[in-house]
Amino acid sequence: MLDSVVAAETPEGILLELRPAGISARCCAYLIDQLIRIAIMYAAAFILMFFGGLGWAFWAILSFLLEWFYPVVFELGRNGATPGKRAMGLKVVMDNGLPITPAASLTRNLLRVADFLPMMFGAAIVSVLLRADSKRLGDLAAATLVVYLPRPAPKATLDMVTPVAPVRALSPRDQSALIALAARAPTLTVERLDELAAMAASVQGESRQPEAEVTRRVLGVAQWLLGRRT
Amino acid sequence: MTPLHFENLYRAEWDELESQLTLILDGRTRQKHGLEPIRGERVAELYRRACEHLALARARDYPRYLLDRLESLTSDAHQVIYQRREFGLSRLKRLFAQDFPRAVRAHSTYVWIATAITVVPMLLMGWLVYERPDLILSVLDADSAAEYEAMYSDSAETLGNISGAESRWQMFGFYIKHNIGLSFQFYAAGLFAGIGSIFFMLLNAVVSGALAGYLTERGLSESFYSFVVTHAAFELTALVLTGAAGLRLGHSLIAPGRLTRVQSLTQAARESIVMVYGIFVMLLIAAAIEAFWSSARWMPLPLKYSVAAVCWLGVLAYLAFQGRRAD
Repeated sequence: MLDSVVAAETPEGILLELRPAGISARCCAYLIDQLIRIAIMYAAAFILMFFGGLGWAFWAILSFLLEWFYPVVFELGRNGATPGKRAMGLKVVMDNGLPITPAASLTRNLLRVADFLPMMFGAAIVSVLLRADSKRLGDLAAATLVVYLPRPAPKATLDMVTPVAPVRALSPRDQSALIALAARAPTLTVERLDELAAMAASVQGESRQPEAEVTRRVLGVAQWLLGRRT
Repeated sequence: MTPLHFENLYRAEWDELESQLTLILDGRTRQKHGLEPIRGERVAELYRRACEHLALARARDYPRYLLDRLESLTSDAHQVIYQRREFGLSRLKRLFAQDFPRAVRAHSTYVWIATAITVVPMLLMGWLVYERPDLILSVLDADSAAEYEAMYSDSAETLGNISGAESRWQMFGFYIKHNIGLSFQFYAAGLFAGIGSIFFMLLNAVVSGALAGYLTERGLSESFYSFVVTHAAFELTALVLTGAAGLRLGHSLIAPGRLTRVQSLTQAARESIVMVYGIFVMLLIAAAIEAFWSSARWMPLPLKYSVAAVCWLGVLAYLAFQGRRAD
Protein backbone atom coordinates (compact mmCIF):
# COMPACT_ATOMS: atom_id res chain seq x y z
CA MET A 1 0.00 0.00 0.00
CA LEU A 2 1.25 3.44 -0.89
CA ASP A 3 -1.20 5.10 1.48
CA SER A 4 0.39 6.24 4.72
CA VAL A 5 -2.55 5.34 6.92
CA VAL A 6 -2.11 5.18 10.68
CA ALA A 7 -4.68 2.98 12.36
CA ALA A 8 -5.73 4.03 15.85
CA GLU A 9 -7.44 1.32 17.85
CA THR A 10 -10.23 2.33 20.19
CA PRO A 11 -10.96 0.55 23.48
CA GLU A 12 -13.96 -1.03 21.74
CA GLY A 13 -11.60 -2.80 19.39
CA ILE A 14 -12.39 -0.94 16.18
CA LEU A 15 -9.80 0.74 14.01
CA LEU A 16 -9.95 4.43 13.07
CA GLU A 17 -7.99 5.41 9.98
CA LEU A 18 -5.87 8.57 10.24
CA ARG A 19 -3.98 9.97 7.27
CA PRO A 20 -0.86 11.88 8.42
CA ALA A 21 -0.02 14.96 6.39
CA GLY A 22 3.38 15.07 4.71
CA ILE A 23 6.00 17.74 4.64
CA SER A 24 4.74 19.84 1.70
CA ALA A 25 1.20 20.33 3.03
CA ARG A 26 2.55 21.23 6.46
CA CYS A 27 5.10 23.69 5.05
CA CYS A 28 2.38 25.46 3.09
CA ALA A 29 0.15 25.60 6.17
CA TYR A 30 3.01 27.05 8.20
CA LEU A 31 3.76 29.70 5.58
CA ILE A 32 0.11 30.76 5.44
CA ASP A 33 0.00 31.07 9.23
CA GLN A 34 3.25 33.00 9.21
CA LEU A 35 1.86 35.47 6.65
CA ILE A 36 -1.28 35.94 8.75
CA ARG A 37 0.82 36.61 11.83
CA ILE A 38 3.03 39.09 10.04
CA ALA A 39 -0.04 40.88 8.66
CA ILE A 40 -1.54 41.15 12.15
CA MET A 41 1.75 42.44 13.57
CA TYR A 42 2.02 45.14 10.91
CA ALA A 43 -1.61 46.18 11.30
CA ALA A 44 -1.20 46.34 15.08
CA ALA A 45 2.04 48.30 14.78
CA PHE A 46 0.30 50.78 12.48
CA ILE A 47 -2.54 51.39 14.94
CA LEU A 48 -0.53 51.24 18.19
CA MET A 49 2.05 53.64 16.70
CA PHE A 50 -0.27 56.49 17.71
CA PHE A 51 -0.20 55.55 21.38
CA GLY A 52 3.49 56.09 22.10
CA GLY A 53 5.12 54.06 24.86
CA LEU A 54 1.88 52.44 25.98
CA GLY A 55 1.23 51.36 22.40
CA TRP A 56 4.69 49.82 22.23
CA ALA A 57 4.03 47.90 25.44
CA PHE A 58 0.83 46.41 24.05
CA TRP A 59 2.53 45.62 20.77
CA ALA A 60 5.24 43.69 22.64
CA ILE A 61 2.63 41.71 24.57
CA LEU A 62 0.63 41.08 21.39
CA SER A 63 3.69 39.84 19.53
CA PHE A 64 4.51 37.54 22.45
CA LEU A 65 0.98 36.11 22.41
CA LEU A 66 1.00 35.69 18.63
CA GLU A 67 4.36 33.97 18.69
CA TRP A 68 3.50 31.38 21.32
CA PHE A 69 -0.27 31.11 21.64
CA TYR A 70 -1.64 31.70 18.14
CA PRO A 71 -1.49 27.98 17.24
CA VAL A 72 -2.65 26.86 20.69
CA VAL A 73 -5.82 28.96 20.59
CA PHE A 74 -6.78 27.74 17.12
CA GLU A 75 -5.92 24.10 17.75
CA LEU A 76 -8.15 24.04 20.82
CA GLY A 77 -10.95 25.68 18.86
CA ARG A 78 -13.75 23.97 17.01
CA ASN A 79 -11.70 23.07 13.93
CA GLY A 80 -8.62 21.79 15.70
CA ALA A 81 -6.47 23.65 13.19
CA THR A 82 -4.85 27.03 12.59
CA PRO A 83 -6.19 28.99 9.59
CA GLY A 84 -3.21 27.79 7.55
CA LYS A 85 -3.83 24.14 8.35
CA ARG A 86 -7.51 24.60 7.68
CA ALA A 87 -6.78 26.06 4.28
CA MET A 88 -4.67 22.99 3.48
CA GLY A 89 -7.38 20.62 4.76
CA LEU A 90 -5.36 19.56 7.81
CA LYS A 91 -6.17 19.11 11.46
CA VAL A 92 -4.23 18.31 14.64
CA VAL A 93 -5.46 15.34 16.67
CA MET A 94 -4.07 13.11 19.39
CA ASP A 95 -2.43 10.02 17.91
CA ASN A 96 -5.28 7.90 19.27
CA GLY A 97 -7.70 9.83 17.07
CA LEU A 98 -9.20 12.00 19.80
CA PRO A 99 -9.46 15.79 19.82
CA ILE A 100 -6.26 17.49 20.98
CA THR A 101 -5.95 18.34 24.68
CA PRO A 102 -4.75 21.75 25.96
CA ALA A 103 -1.59 20.24 27.46
CA ALA A 104 -0.68 18.49 24.20
CA SER A 105 -1.31 21.61 22.14
CA LEU A 106 0.91 23.70 24.40
CA THR A 107 3.63 21.04 24.39
CA ARG A 108 3.81 20.71 20.62
CA ASN A 109 3.85 24.46 20.13
CA LEU A 110 6.48 25.21 22.77
CA LEU A 111 8.71 22.48 21.37
CA ARG A 112 8.52 24.05 17.92
CA VAL A 113 11.69 25.87 19.04
CA ALA A 114 13.51 22.54 19.27
CA ASP A 115 12.14 21.59 15.87
CA PHE A 116 13.54 24.79 14.42
CA LEU A 117 17.13 23.91 15.38
CA PRO A 118 19.78 23.86 14.04
CA MET A 119 18.29 26.14 11.41
CA MET A 120 15.19 26.45 9.21
CA PHE A 121 13.31 23.64 10.98
CA GLY A 122 16.13 21.18 10.31
CA ALA A 123 15.16 18.82 13.14
CA ALA A 124 11.48 18.90 12.12
CA ILE A 125 12.28 18.17 8.49
CA VAL A 126 14.47 15.18 9.34
CA SER A 127 11.89 13.81 11.75
CA VAL A 128 8.92 14.28 9.38
CA LEU A 129 10.78 12.69 6.46
CA LEU A 130 12.05 9.72 8.44
CA ARG A 131 8.86 8.79 10.22
CA ALA A 132 5.95 7.01 8.53
CA ASP A 133 3.51 9.02 10.65
CA SER A 134 5.23 12.35 9.77
CA LYS A 135 5.61 13.55 13.34
CA ARG A 136 7.96 16.36 14.20
CA LEU A 137 9.72 16.40 17.59
CA GLY A 138 6.92 18.40 19.18
CA ASP A 139 4.38 15.88 17.93
CA LEU A 140 6.43 13.04 19.39
CA ALA A 141 6.52 14.64 22.81
CA ALA A 142 2.86 15.67 22.76
CA ALA A 143 1.61 12.41 21.16
CA THR A 144 -0.19 14.38 18.48
CA LEU A 145 -0.62 13.86 14.77
CA VAL A 146 -1.30 16.28 11.91
CA VAL A 147 -3.83 14.53 9.69
CA TYR A 148 -5.84 15.23 6.57
CA LEU A 149 -9.50 15.91 7.21
CA PRO A 150 -11.57 13.01 5.93
CA ARG A 151 -12.55 13.88 2.40
CA PRO A 152 -16.19 13.36 1.44
CA ALA A 153 -16.37 10.34 -0.85
CA PRO A 154 -17.00 11.23 -4.51
CA LYS A 155 -20.58 10.75 -5.61
CA ALA A 156 -20.86 7.33 -7.18
CA THR A 157 -24.62 6.92 -7.62
CA LEU A 158 -25.58 6.69 -11.30
CA ASP A 159 -29.35 7.13 -11.57
CA MET A 160 -29.71 5.67 -15.07
CA VAL A 161 -28.10 2.33 -14.15
CA THR A 162 -30.28 -0.40 -12.64
CA PRO A 163 -28.69 -2.18 -9.66
CA VAL A 164 -27.44 -5.73 -10.26
CA ALA A 165 -26.67 -8.17 -7.47
CA PRO A 166 -23.10 -9.53 -7.64
CA VAL A 167 -22.89 -13.26 -8.37
CA ARG A 168 -20.14 -13.89 -5.83
CA ALA A 169 -19.02 -12.52 -2.48
CA LEU A 170 -16.72 -9.52 -2.88
CA SER A 171 -14.00 -8.47 -0.48
CA PRO A 172 -14.15 -4.89 0.84
CA ARG A 173 -11.20 -3.97 -1.40
CA ASP A 174 -12.95 -5.28 -4.51
CA GLN A 175 -16.10 -3.43 -3.49
CA SER A 176 -14.18 -0.19 -3.05
CA ALA A 177 -12.61 -0.64 -6.49
CA LEU A 178 -16.00 -1.10 -8.16
CA ILE A 179 -17.47 1.93 -6.37
CA ALA A 180 -14.44 4.02 -7.32
CA LEU A 181 -14.99 2.97 -10.95
CA ALA A 182 -18.62 4.10 -10.74
CA ALA A 183 -17.50 7.44 -9.30
CA ARG A 184 -15.05 7.94 -12.17
CA ALA A 185 -17.42 6.72 -14.89
CA PRO A 186 -18.76 10.17 -15.88
CA THR A 187 -15.23 11.47 -16.47
CA LEU A 188 -13.99 8.55 -18.61
CA THR A 189 -14.38 8.03 -22.34
CA VAL A 190 -16.74 5.24 -23.33
CA GLU A 191 -13.91 3.11 -24.71
CA ARG A 192 -11.79 3.41 -21.59
CA LEU A 193 -14.77 2.71 -19.34
CA ASP A 194 -15.57 -0.45 -21.34
CA GLU A 195 -11.95 -1.54 -21.07
CA LEU A 196 -11.89 -1.10 -17.30
CA ALA A 197 -15.30 -2.66 -16.78
CA ALA A 198 -14.23 -5.70 -18.81
CA MET A 199 -11.60 -6.46 -16.16
CA ALA A 200 -14.37 -6.74 -13.58
CA ALA A 201 -16.73 -8.65 -15.87
CA SER A 202 -16.75 -11.70 -13.61
CA VAL A 203 -18.74 -9.97 -10.87
CA GLN A 204 -21.94 -9.73 -12.91
CA GLY A 205 -22.18 -13.31 -14.12
CA GLU A 206 -23.48 -12.88 -17.65
CA SER A 207 -20.90 -13.79 -20.28
CA ARG A 208 -21.00 -13.21 -24.04
CA GLN A 209 -22.73 -9.87 -23.81
CA PRO A 210 -21.85 -6.83 -25.90
CA GLU A 211 -19.25 -4.59 -24.24
CA ALA A 212 -21.72 -1.80 -23.43
CA GLU A 213 -24.02 -4.26 -21.69
CA VAL A 214 -21.16 -5.69 -19.58
CA THR A 215 -20.20 -2.15 -18.56
CA ARG A 216 -23.78 -1.35 -17.60
CA ARG A 217 -24.05 -4.49 -15.51
CA VAL A 218 -20.68 -3.90 -13.77
CA LEU A 219 -21.76 -0.37 -12.88
CA GLY A 220 -25.06 -1.89 -11.77
CA VAL A 221 -23.17 -4.09 -9.30
CA ALA A 222 -21.49 -0.95 -7.97
CA GLN A 223 -24.94 0.60 -7.46
CA TRP A 224 -26.06 -2.51 -5.59
CA LEU A 225 -22.98 -2.23 -3.37
CA LEU A 226 -23.92 1.37 -2.61
CA GLY A 227 -27.17 0.12 -1.15
CA ARG A 228 -29.54 0.78 -4.07
CA ARG A 229 -31.94 -2.05 -4.68
CA THR A 230 -34.26 -0.67 -7.36
CA MET B 1 -27.93 -13.39 7.68
CA THR B 2 -27.92 -11.27 4.55
CA PRO B 3 -26.61 -7.70 4.67
CA LEU B 4 -30.12 -6.43 4.04
CA HIS B 5 -31.53 -8.42 6.92
CA PHE B 6 -28.69 -7.19 9.14
CA GLU B 7 -29.39 -3.62 8.20
CA ASN B 8 -33.13 -3.88 8.79
CA LEU B 9 -32.54 -5.46 12.16
CA TYR B 10 -30.28 -2.74 13.52
CA ARG B 11 -31.04 0.37 11.52
CA ALA B 12 -33.28 1.79 14.25
CA GLU B 13 -30.38 1.72 16.75
CA TRP B 14 -28.02 3.45 14.33
CA ASP B 15 -30.59 6.15 13.59
CA GLU B 16 -31.09 6.72 17.30
CA LEU B 17 -27.35 7.03 17.91
CA GLU B 18 -27.04 9.42 14.97
CA SER B 19 -29.80 11.69 16.24
CA GLN B 20 -28.34 11.70 19.76
CA LEU B 21 -24.93 12.67 18.35
CA THR B 22 -26.37 15.58 16.36
CA LEU B 23 -28.14 16.70 19.52
CA ILE B 24 -24.88 16.67 21.46
CA LEU B 25 -22.90 18.41 18.73
CA ASP B 26 -25.56 21.09 18.34
CA GLY B 27 -24.66 22.22 21.82
CA ARG B 28 -26.59 22.69 24.97
CA THR B 29 -28.92 25.37 23.70
CA ARG B 30 -31.33 22.79 22.33
CA GLN B 31 -31.28 20.90 25.57
CA LYS B 32 -32.23 24.05 27.42
CA HIS B 33 -35.17 24.59 25.15
CA GLY B 34 -36.60 21.28 26.25
CA LEU B 35 -36.17 19.48 22.96
CA GLU B 36 -35.35 15.80 23.07
CA PRO B 37 -33.07 15.17 26.05
CA ILE B 38 -29.57 13.73 25.65
CA ARG B 39 -29.26 10.39 27.39
CA GLY B 40 -25.59 9.73 28.05
CA GLU B 41 -25.94 6.15 29.19
CA ARG B 42 -27.97 5.27 26.13
CA VAL B 43 -25.39 6.90 23.84
CA ALA B 44 -22.60 4.84 25.38
CA GLU B 45 -24.64 1.66 25.02
CA LEU B 46 -25.58 2.41 21.41
CA TYR B 47 -21.96 3.23 20.63
CA ARG B 48 -20.75 -0.11 21.93
CA ARG B 49 -23.46 -1.86 19.93
CA ALA B 50 -22.47 0.00 16.78
CA CYS B 51 -18.83 -1.01 17.33
CA GLU B 52 -19.94 -4.60 17.61
CA HIS B 53 -21.97 -4.29 14.41
CA LEU B 54 -19.03 -2.77 12.60
CA ALA B 55 -16.76 -5.63 13.65
CA LEU B 56 -19.36 -8.15 12.46
CA ALA B 57 -19.90 -6.33 9.18
CA ARG B 58 -16.17 -6.25 8.53
CA ALA B 59 -15.69 -9.89 9.38
CA ARG B 60 -18.55 -10.87 7.05
CA ASP B 61 -17.43 -8.67 4.15
CA TYR B 62 -20.74 -6.82 4.07
CA PRO B 63 -21.27 -4.28 1.29
CA ARG B 64 -19.27 -1.11 1.37
CA TYR B 65 -22.17 1.25 2.05
CA LEU B 66 -22.92 -0.52 5.35
CA LEU B 67 -19.28 -0.39 6.42
CA ASP B 68 -19.06 3.29 5.46
CA ARG B 69 -22.10 4.20 7.48
CA LEU B 70 -20.95 2.27 10.55
CA GLU B 71 -17.40 3.61 10.26
CA SER B 72 -18.46 7.24 10.19
CA LEU B 73 -21.03 6.63 12.94
CA THR B 74 -18.56 4.99 15.31
CA SER B 75 -15.80 7.49 14.66
CA ASP B 76 -18.16 10.43 15.35
CA ALA B 77 -19.39 8.78 18.54
CA HIS B 78 -15.82 8.01 19.59
CA GLN B 79 -14.93 11.72 19.32
CA VAL B 80 -17.92 12.72 21.42
CA ILE B 81 -17.62 10.05 24.09
CA TYR B 82 -13.88 10.32 24.75
CA GLN B 83 -13.66 14.08 24.49
CA ARG B 84 -11.82 15.58 27.42
CA ARG B 85 -12.84 18.96 28.71
CA GLU B 86 -9.97 20.50 30.62
CA PHE B 87 -11.05 24.10 30.68
CA GLY B 88 -12.77 26.10 33.34
CA LEU B 89 -11.96 27.78 36.60
CA SER B 90 -12.10 24.67 38.75
CA ARG B 91 -9.41 23.09 36.60
CA LEU B 92 -7.31 26.24 36.89
CA LYS B 93 -7.79 26.33 40.63
CA ARG B 94 -6.67 22.73 40.97
CA LEU B 95 -3.64 23.48 38.81
CA PHE B 96 -2.32 26.11 41.20
CA ALA B 97 -3.66 24.64 44.45
CA GLN B 98 -2.21 21.19 43.76
CA ASP B 99 -0.86 20.20 40.39
CA PHE B 100 1.91 22.77 39.92
CA PRO B 101 3.60 22.56 43.35
CA ARG B 102 3.19 18.78 43.31
CA ALA B 103 4.81 18.55 39.89
CA VAL B 104 7.72 20.61 41.22
CA ARG B 105 8.15 18.25 44.17
CA ALA B 106 7.82 15.22 41.91
CA HIS B 107 10.79 16.62 39.96
CA SER B 108 12.77 17.51 43.08
CA THR B 109 15.97 15.80 41.91
CA TYR B 110 15.92 17.81 38.70
CA VAL B 111 15.10 20.98 40.64
CA TRP B 112 18.10 20.51 42.97
CA ILE B 113 20.44 19.83 40.04
CA ALA B 114 19.13 22.90 38.22
CA THR B 115 19.57 24.95 41.39
CA ALA B 116 23.18 23.81 41.67
CA ILE B 117 23.85 24.55 37.99
CA THR B 118 22.47 28.06 38.48
CA VAL B 119 23.65 29.05 41.95
CA VAL B 120 27.19 27.65 42.06
CA PRO B 121 28.49 29.33 38.89
CA MET B 122 26.63 32.51 39.82
CA LEU B 123 28.32 32.80 43.23
CA LEU B 124 31.69 31.70 41.83
CA MET B 125 31.57 34.22 39.00
CA GLY B 126 30.34 36.94 41.36
CA TRP B 127 33.21 36.35 43.74
CA LEU B 128 35.79 36.19 40.91
CA VAL B 129 34.62 39.46 39.35
CA TYR B 130 34.44 41.11 42.77
CA GLU B 131 38.08 40.19 43.34
CA ARG B 132 39.24 41.04 39.82
CA PRO B 133 36.78 43.49 38.17
CA ASP B 134 38.46 43.31 34.76
CA LEU B 135 37.11 39.76 34.46
CA ILE B 136 33.72 41.30 33.64
CA LEU B 137 35.14 41.82 30.17
CA SER B 138 35.18 38.06 29.66
CA VAL B 139 31.39 38.00 29.61
CA LEU B 140 30.42 41.54 28.57
CA ASP B 141 32.12 44.03 26.29
CA ALA B 142 33.31 47.30 27.77
CA ASP B 143 30.41 49.35 26.41
CA SER B 144 27.66 47.23 27.92
CA ALA B 145 29.54 47.04 31.22
CA ALA B 146 29.61 50.82 31.33
CA GLU B 147 25.96 50.92 30.36
CA TYR B 148 24.96 48.66 33.24
CA GLU B 149 27.07 50.76 35.58
CA ALA B 150 25.29 53.93 34.46
CA MET B 151 21.91 52.19 34.78
CA TYR B 152 22.35 51.55 38.50
CA SER B 153 24.23 54.75 39.32
CA ASP B 154 22.44 57.34 41.40
CA SER B 155 22.26 60.00 38.75
CA ALA B 156 20.06 60.38 35.72
CA GLU B 157 16.99 58.50 34.52
CA THR B 158 17.89 54.95 35.38
CA LEU B 159 16.34 51.53 35.44
CA GLY B 160 16.03 51.75 39.20
CA ASN B 161 14.42 55.14 39.00
CA ILE B 162 11.94 55.17 36.18
CA SER B 163 9.29 57.83 36.31
CA GLY B 164 6.05 57.85 34.42
CA ALA B 165 3.50 55.16 33.83
CA GLU B 166 4.28 54.94 30.14
CA SER B 167 7.84 53.73 30.48
CA ARG B 168 6.81 51.28 33.18
CA TRP B 169 4.27 49.73 30.85
CA GLN B 170 7.00 49.64 28.23
CA MET B 171 9.24 47.70 30.59
CA PHE B 172 6.35 45.38 31.44
CA GLY B 173 5.76 44.56 27.75
CA PHE B 174 9.44 44.01 27.19
CA TYR B 175 9.84 41.68 30.18
CA ILE B 176 6.89 39.57 29.09
CA LYS B 177 8.05 39.21 25.51
CA HIS B 178 11.68 38.70 26.39
CA ASN B 179 11.71 36.74 29.64
CA ILE B 180 8.79 34.43 29.06
CA GLY B 181 9.80 33.76 25.45
CA LEU B 182 13.32 32.96 26.63
CA SER B 183 12.06 30.61 29.31
CA PHE B 184 9.95 28.70 26.77
CA GLN B 185 13.10 28.35 24.68
CA PHE B 186 15.10 27.03 27.65
CA TYR B 187 12.47 24.36 28.14
CA ALA B 188 12.38 23.29 24.49
CA ALA B 189 16.17 23.23 24.30
CA GLY B 190 16.14 20.52 26.97
CA LEU B 191 14.90 18.12 24.30
CA PHE B 192 18.48 17.76 23.06
CA ALA B 193 19.63 15.48 25.89
CA GLY B 194 19.31 18.38 28.32
CA ILE B 195 22.40 20.07 26.89
CA GLY B 196 20.43 23.09 25.68
CA SER B 197 18.93 23.69 29.10
CA ILE B 198 22.28 23.30 30.87
CA PHE B 199 23.93 25.70 28.42
CA PHE B 200 21.27 28.37 28.91
CA MET B 201 21.32 27.98 32.70
CA LEU B 202 25.10 28.31 32.82
CA LEU B 203 25.07 31.31 30.49
CA ASN B 204 22.41 33.04 32.53
CA ALA B 205 24.14 32.26 35.84
CA VAL B 206 27.59 33.38 34.68
CA VAL B 207 26.42 36.66 33.20
CA SER B 208 24.18 37.66 36.10
CA GLY B 209 26.79 36.55 38.66
CA ALA B 210 29.49 38.55 36.94
CA LEU B 211 27.25 41.58 36.76
CA ALA B 212 26.37 41.37 40.44
CA GLY B 213 30.04 41.03 41.41
CA TYR B 214 31.04 43.93 39.20
CA LEU B 215 28.35 46.30 40.43
CA THR B 216 29.06 45.37 44.05
CA GLU B 217 32.72 46.13 43.54
CA ARG B 218 31.78 49.49 42.05
CA GLY B 219 29.84 50.36 45.21
CA LEU B 220 26.43 50.23 43.55
CA SER B 221 25.25 47.28 45.58
CA GLU B 222 22.43 49.16 47.28
CA SER B 223 20.62 50.26 44.13
CA PHE B 224 21.34 46.96 42.35
CA TYR B 225 20.19 44.55 45.05
CA SER B 226 17.18 46.59 46.07
CA PHE B 227 16.14 46.52 42.42
CA VAL B 228 16.56 42.83 41.69
CA VAL B 229 15.80 41.14 45.00
CA THR B 230 12.00 41.25 44.90
CA HIS B 231 11.29 40.01 41.39
CA ALA B 232 14.18 37.55 41.64
CA ALA B 233 11.98 35.56 44.03
CA PHE B 234 9.77 34.75 41.07
CA GLU B 235 12.14 35.12 38.12
CA LEU B 236 15.15 33.23 39.41
CA THR B 237 12.96 30.45 40.82
CA ALA B 238 11.04 30.21 37.56
CA LEU B 239 14.27 29.97 35.57
CA VAL B 240 15.55 27.19 37.82
CA LEU B 241 12.24 25.36 37.40
CA THR B 242 12.43 25.84 33.62
CA GLY B 243 15.88 24.30 33.66
CA ALA B 244 14.56 21.41 35.75
CA ALA B 245 11.70 20.81 33.29
CA GLY B 246 14.18 20.91 30.39
CA LEU B 247 16.48 18.45 32.18
CA ARG B 248 13.53 16.11 32.64
CA LEU B 249 12.89 16.14 28.86
CA GLY B 250 16.53 15.46 28.10
CA HIS B 251 16.89 12.77 30.74
CA SER B 252 13.82 10.94 29.42
CA LEU B 253 15.62 10.48 26.11
CA ILE B 254 18.97 9.44 27.58
CA ALA B 255 17.54 6.97 30.09
CA PRO B 256 14.10 5.83 28.96
CA GLY B 257 14.08 2.89 31.38
CA ARG B 258 11.59 0.22 30.39
CA LEU B 259 9.77 2.43 27.89
CA THR B 260 10.69 3.16 24.29
CA ARG B 261 12.41 6.51 23.84
CA VAL B 262 9.31 8.06 22.27
CA GLN B 263 7.01 6.80 25.03
CA SER B 264 9.46 8.04 27.63
CA LEU B 265 9.60 11.48 25.97
CA THR B 266 5.80 11.67 25.79
CA GLN B 267 5.50 10.84 29.47
CA ALA B 268 8.19 13.37 30.43
CA ALA B 269 6.50 16.08 28.39
CA ARG B 270 3.10 15.33 29.90
CA GLU B 271 4.49 15.58 33.43
CA SER B 272 6.84 18.51 32.96
CA ILE B 273 4.43 20.73 31.00
CA VAL B 274 2.52 21.20 34.28
CA MET B 275 5.60 23.03 35.57
CA VAL B 276 5.60 25.25 32.49
CA TYR B 277 2.07 26.49 33.32
CA GLY B 278 3.28 27.57 36.73
CA ILE B 279 6.50 29.05 35.36
CA PHE B 280 4.45 31.15 32.95
CA VAL B 281 2.41 32.68 35.77
CA MET B 282 5.50 33.20 37.97
CA LEU B 283 7.22 35.08 35.17
CA LEU B 284 4.11 37.22 34.61
CA ILE B 285 4.22 38.17 38.30
CA ALA B 286 7.96 38.80 38.04
CA ALA B 287 7.44 41.08 35.02
CA ALA B 288 4.76 43.07 36.86
CA ILE B 289 6.93 43.44 39.97
CA GLU B 290 10.01 44.36 37.98
CA ALA B 291 8.17 47.01 35.98
CA PHE B 292 5.95 48.57 38.65
CA TRP B 293 7.48 47.85 42.05
CA SER B 294 11.23 47.29 41.71
CA SER B 295 11.53 50.41 39.59
CA ALA B 296 10.10 52.65 42.30
CA ARG B 297 13.30 53.85 43.92
CA TRP B 298 11.68 56.44 46.19
CA MET B 299 10.39 53.49 48.26
CA PRO B 300 12.25 53.24 51.59
CA LEU B 301 14.77 50.41 51.51
CA PRO B 302 13.56 48.57 54.64
CA LEU B 303 10.09 48.31 53.07
CA LYS B 304 11.57 46.98 49.81
CA TYR B 305 13.66 44.39 51.57
CA SER B 306 10.80 43.22 53.79
CA VAL B 307 8.50 42.82 50.77
CA ALA B 308 11.29 40.89 49.06
CA ALA B 309 11.67 38.63 52.10
CA VAL B 310 7.94 37.96 52.13
CA CYS B 311 8.02 37.13 48.40
CA TRP B 312 10.94 34.72 48.76
CA LEU B 313 9.46 32.96 51.76
CA GLY B 314 6.05 32.85 50.09
CA VAL B 315 7.35 31.34 46.84
CA LEU B 316 9.53 28.75 48.55
CA ALA B 317 6.82 27.79 51.04
CA TYR B 318 4.28 27.53 48.23
CA LEU B 319 6.50 25.20 46.23
CA ALA B 320 7.45 23.15 49.28
CA PHE B 321 4.12 22.78 51.06
CA GLN B 322 1.12 23.68 48.88
CA GLY B 323 -1.04 20.64 48.15
CA ARG B 324 0.95 18.35 50.44
CA ARG B 325 -2.21 16.72 51.71
CA ALA B 326 -2.89 15.35 48.22
CA ASP B 327 0.62 13.93 47.81
